[in-house]
Amino acid sequence: MRRWLDIVRLRWRSLSRRGAADRDLDRELRFHLDRRVEELVAEGCSTREAHDRALREFGSPSSVAEQCRDTRRVHVLQHILQDLRYGARVLRAQPMLLVAATTSIALGVGANLTIFGLANSILLSQPTARDAGDLVHIRTTNGSHVSYTVWRELAAADVIGGLAGYDIETDMVWRDRDASVTLTPLLVTANFFDVLGIPIALGRGFTADEAAAELSPRLAVVSDAFWRRRLGANPSVVGTAITLDGAPYTVLGVLPADLRSLPGYGFMPDVYVPLSRTLIPTLDRIRATHVQLIGRLRPGQSAASAQAALGAVASGVAAQYGDPEAGSIRTVAHVGGLSQLKDFEQVALFFGVLLIVTALVLVIACANVAGLLLSRAAARRREIALRLALGASRRRLVQQLLTEGVLLAVLGTGAGLLLTEGFARLARGLVIELPLRVAPQWSFDARMLWAAAGMVILSSLLCGLAPALQATRSSLMPGLKQDAIAALHRRFHLRGWLVLGQVTISMLLLVITALFLRNLGLAERLSPGFDSARTVLAQVTFVTADAQKMAAVLDSVRALPGVEAVSFAAGVPLTMRYGGESGMHMRIDGREQRVRVDFFQNDVGPAYFETMGLRIVRGRGFSPSETTGTPRVVVINEEFARRYLEGLDPIGRHIYLPQRAQEESAQIIGVVSDSKYRTIGEDRSAAIYGAALQHGAARFTNIIVRTALPPESLVTPVSAAIMRLDASAAVSVEPMTSALRFALLPSRAGAALMGALGVLGTVLAMIGLYGVVAFAVSRRTSEIGIRVALGASRATVMRLVMKEGGVLVAIGVAAGLVLALMVTPALRAFLVADLPTTDPVSFAGTALLLAATSAAAIFGPARRALRVEPAVSLRVD
Amino acid sequence: MSRPSDLVQGTLDLLILKTLAREPSHGWAIAKRIHLVSGEVLQVTQGSLYPALHRLEQQGWLKAAWVETEGGREAKVYSLTAAGRKQLARELESWDRLSAAIHLVVRNAEA
Repeated sequence: MRRWLDIVRLRWRSLSRRGAADRDLDRELRFHLDRRVEELVAEGCSTREAHDRALREFGSPSSVAEQCRDTRRVHVLQHILQDLRYGARVLRAQPMLLVAATTSIALGVGANLTIFGLANSILLSQPTARDAGDLVHIRTTNGSHVSYTVWRELAAADVIGGLAGYDIETDMVWRDRDASVTLTPLLVTANFFDVLGIPIALGRGFTADEAAAELSPRLAVVSDAFWRRRLGANPSVVGTAITLDGAPYTVLGVLPADLRSLPGYGFMPDVYVPLSRTLIPTLDRIRATHVQLIGRLRPGQSAASAQAALGAVASGVAAQYGDPEAGSIRTVAHVGGLSQLKDFEQVALFFGVLLIVTALVLVIACANVAGLLLSRAAARRREIALRLALGASRRRLVQQLLTEGVLLAVLGTGAGLLLTEGFARLARGLVIELPLRVAPQWSFDARMLWAAAGMVILSSLLCGLAPALQATRSSLMPGLKQDAIAALHRRFHLRGWLVLGQVTISMLLLVITALFLRNLGLAERLSPGFDSARTVLAQVTFVTADAQKMAAVLDSVRALPGVEAVSFAAGVPLTMRYGGESGMHMRIDGREQRVRVDFFQNDVGPAYFETMGLRIVRGRGFSPSETTGTPRVVVINEEFARRYLEGLDPIGRHIYLPQRAQEESAQIIGVVSDSKYRTIGEDRSAAIYGAALQHGAARFTNIIVRTALPPESLVTPVSAAIMRLDASAAVSVEPMTSALRFALLPSRAGAALMGALGVLGTVLAMIGLYGVVAFAVSRRTSEIGIRVALGASRATVMRLVMKEGGVLVAIGVAAGLVLALMVTPALRAFLVADLPTTDPVSFAGTALLLAATSAAAIFGPARRALRVEPAVSLRVD
Repeated sequence: MSRPSDLVQGTLDLLILKTLAREPSHGWAIAKRIHLVSGEVLQVTQGSLYPALHRLEQQGWLKAAWVETEGGREAKVYSLTAAGRKQLARELESWDRLSAAIHLVVRNAEA
């Protein structure tokens, strides 16, 4: 220990009092020399002779001193400081280089951090809550939700730190004076705020005692956005009531603005309301699953032990209430972080692709900087050769040149961070067209800082290492000599490789971009399978469900001028909440064994198929007489018949739908044409339609209006007709085409992001190409001059220069195409079914585009070469 | 005359530590003593001696002080620290092992 203290003291001394330490060293060596001189004199030499001999034996005193100094180790630090000062001076002296390099890196880093930040906020961030690291998502074999009863029993067992639940699948109507607005509330268990410890900006959250569902609580906590936009940011709103679903709810508190909500992925519910039987009449049914579980682990409790403890309770609950599927706990996973990725594989995958693409953009940007430094290193050859000749070690020079790379990387990353903040601000103003409020939150958390630090390291290595090694590899002589054409060609060679790599990567980027753009183009032209051009959609939320009122509403809409047909449905295809079942085993009459089926499901009214423009292939649609109490009937689509009925005649056949407690027999009365259900790019899917009238009235419904007039002209009349009958209903009417925006959102987002990155990458690569050709031309000025003087034609010179870049581009494009062929199959999941990942239009188009852009980039310097005056150019160097 | 390259670096460290274990001395005296004790076979040149001394000092095995010598001149006198003593013991042990091993190989190879 003492020894280490000594070492630190000595190093500090040699660093802080360098002069004193050096004087000591001089004295010590001089003492030695003097003794040798004395010895030689004693042996009989003359003083002068003795002096000379002693010095000869000693060797270079300064070299010995240098070696002694090196043992102090602090030289590493000194050298770094010295290099930083020198590098800063060099860069300041070349503002163009500084600006070009910093901009390049900033663009690359900015793109990377933006995408990483987005992925971080959407996929990895934890919700805002007390000790969010202890929170876990709990799933049963039943799926993500359990019934209210199961939650109550599990929570009462008290085997973990706390167990709450929430539900985001119900809408509420908020009455604002004369207008009604549909809100997306988060329905939560009474103990939600107690268990999660979510901070409240104003007022307070509700407690388990006052909000129990059994008390029919009318309490609400509102989001900051709702408070600001809808309640005028009025602090005195706390304690007053707002009208939700026709009843007064007391506002207890307002959530903070930067809240990361619990459902995650940027979803921002407007209002938090306790679960109650008023809101969900089926709350007490054991098979009505309304509660998504979220638990808090006890201090020191592991997810596995919580799973075991909950599992033991759950099997008891399952036995008691006869719900076997609630009986086992499938997963207990920490909220946020990587475990969250499994839930949203497609989104995670998309971000994976994005991150790889942005990393490639950064590589291109760094290759530019490396190219710039290389050509500068070529210009500095004499300086470097001189320093090598004077005895600077190669390692030392590499360190010096790397330091310049690090300086540029730090500056570039700093600028990139600013750029990211700029992007983030832009994105905050972005409204994402989803039925739910989505607002990604960028936050510069530890993960972002690590990412930025990683980028500094990566870009310094990419920018600095190649030029540094290259610059110091050459032997001394050509550098010291005046002309060094041969050596220059070698150097151009390395830059050539850099540009080759850039062209290859940008080719790959462009192919990916082209695929996403083509995808958007195709997706926009894809037919959804139903008539969206002549229909109007009214989404209606009634305060109370009432079959008679519904019938009256439909009648009044039907009576409007220009209306051809009116129907309604629980779900509208290609909007967010279209239902479906997958992996269910269904009994079908005529087939011996249960069939594993995947299908989309919707409950629709009479005349739905005619209104939507779906063709009835066989049988008939639903009639108004099929209401509650009549035997259940269904209509299937062609794909369902083809896939699961194996040639059996569908009409009149019974299938058995697992509903509630047991299977329910339903007779097939018709077959309709296929359409798209959830995404525009999906393959043919099976579908079953139930008769909405057989399920009784619903609070939330979609009224679909078919018209011969332009759909826009019906928006106001339809809205007015509904409001006349029920002023308390929340109504939103729009042409069907605009309601389908969500269907194209993934394609649009993909095309926009990939398009931007592809363009950015290619622009950077073109700058690199321009740079390398311009550099080559400027270096060959005298050669070109000689050629022109000897009678070379303009065409010859042009060919000469074009060849220089053309070869690089040709090889790069070819390599990029091959690489793209290998890589693009991984993008299958993001593209519509009709677009092959080897789409020839994308591949050939991109190759042509890149070739044309490259030709333009080469043409500039080539023209300059043509203007070379032989007399002038021969004087160069 | 033996060149410094004949001396493996570790060996020079061992020679210096061993010499200083007897009594503190300055660089000149250390070189002289090694020359003398080795039967005038080993000659440590300044070019390797002083960097070695400084390295050992930086490692905390030697400490140095300016002391007035005979003739009234000040010289930088090195002495072993406690850590240096331990290091000497370690180096001696490894030297013994190494020289014994080399001896075995060389003799057996001749036989």
